[in-house]
Amino acid sequence: MNDRNSQKIVDIIQNWSRKHSIWVLAYGTGCGAIEIPPTMTSRYDAERLGVRGAATPRQADVLLITGYLTTKTLKRVIRVYEQMQDPKYVIGFGSCTINGGMYYDSYNTIKVLDKYLPVDVYINGCMPRPESVLSGFGKLQELIADGKANGAQKYKDNLEWYRENQKKIIPNWVMPDYNW
Amino acid sequence: MEEIKANLIKHIKNSFHTAQEVDFKGNRLDFIVDKQCIPSILTYLKDRLGYIHLSHITCVDWLEDGEFELIYIVWSPEEKIKVFVRTRIDRENPVMPNIDMIWPQAHTYEREFRELFGIQFEGLVAPDEFILEDWDGPPPMRRDFDTAAYTAETFFERPGREDAQDVRETITKRSGEEIPDFAKKYSR
Repeated sequence: MNDRNSQKIVDIIQNWSRKHSIWVLAYGTGCGAIEIPPTMTSRYDAERLGVRGAATPRQADVLLITGYLTTKTLKRVIRVYEQMQDPKYVIGFGSCTINGGMYYDSYNTIKVLDKYLPVDVYINGCMPRPESVLSGFGKLQELIADGKANGAQKYKDNLEWYRENQKKIIPNWVMPDYNW
Repeated sequence: MEEIKANLIKHIKNSFHTAQEVDFKGNRLDFIVDKQCIPSILTYLKDRLGYIHLSHITCVDWLEDGEFELIYIVWSPEEKIKVFVRTRIDRENPVMPNIDMIWPQAHTYEREFRELFGIQFEGLVAPDEFILEDWDGPPPMRRDFDTAAYTAETFFERPGREDAQDVRETITKRSGEEIPDFAKKYSR
């Protein structure tokens, strides 16, 4: 057995185990955070799929952007995302993250999330019901198992492009640099 | 209630000759005053007449008249009447007397008006930023601030919603029904 094959097997095992313990950062950015408690509690019980809440960004795997993102919150979200350890994924939640939703002409909410952060899965709806949230997590699990959920790698590779877009929104840039 | 209102109008008219009253049905009574009278009329309402609760302060942008209208709503728990004290100020140079020594909660409203409408309050001591961060455009709640143009310039747009279709037409086409006549006026 050569090195490439053994690496493949390690990857499969790694992805399988990552897929079954998705820890979500308990950080509600918009109105969509209200759909998280029913998803987590007994009726839909996301924990049976390995999805559960984590207290801090450094312990979490998934950053949920639940709904509209104001320019003020974007600053905090970027900071939170950059603190998270690999592997990390972003789920865009609700139509506000996709194309602005009902806040399409608001002066202080961003419209297209994937210009600022690498989004792995989008969940459509306003608001998405717990069923669709779970289906979004299922999609993320599939992507992880196939090794296709590589948003974090994309962010590292295209950091300058993301930074340029972020600095367009945040003029006074006082963020720390993380050396991952 | 009419009796209480008549009594109130008499009291206010005695002290503030320029105040004009506008009577509304129910428990609402408006007074239109000059902006210099605002602190004194509110103090009078609070200390002498028992209108101890400041419900709300709101601002209306009368772009066509070139004026801002500020409305102070006060409520008396004993007389069960809400009094609207209205005043109009110049839109070009909007300056208002400060009332946060009468009701401390007015401080928050005044900071909000300063940031979102650009109204200056004389003697208001507060940090410059309230809700907006790093904002260098015009005050965004003014009616001449074009939000659509601003967002088009500042934020990215995902292609596909430029045409802004009427959803109901799509639905009626799909289900083979027609929009009823009474509802057609709401279509785009």
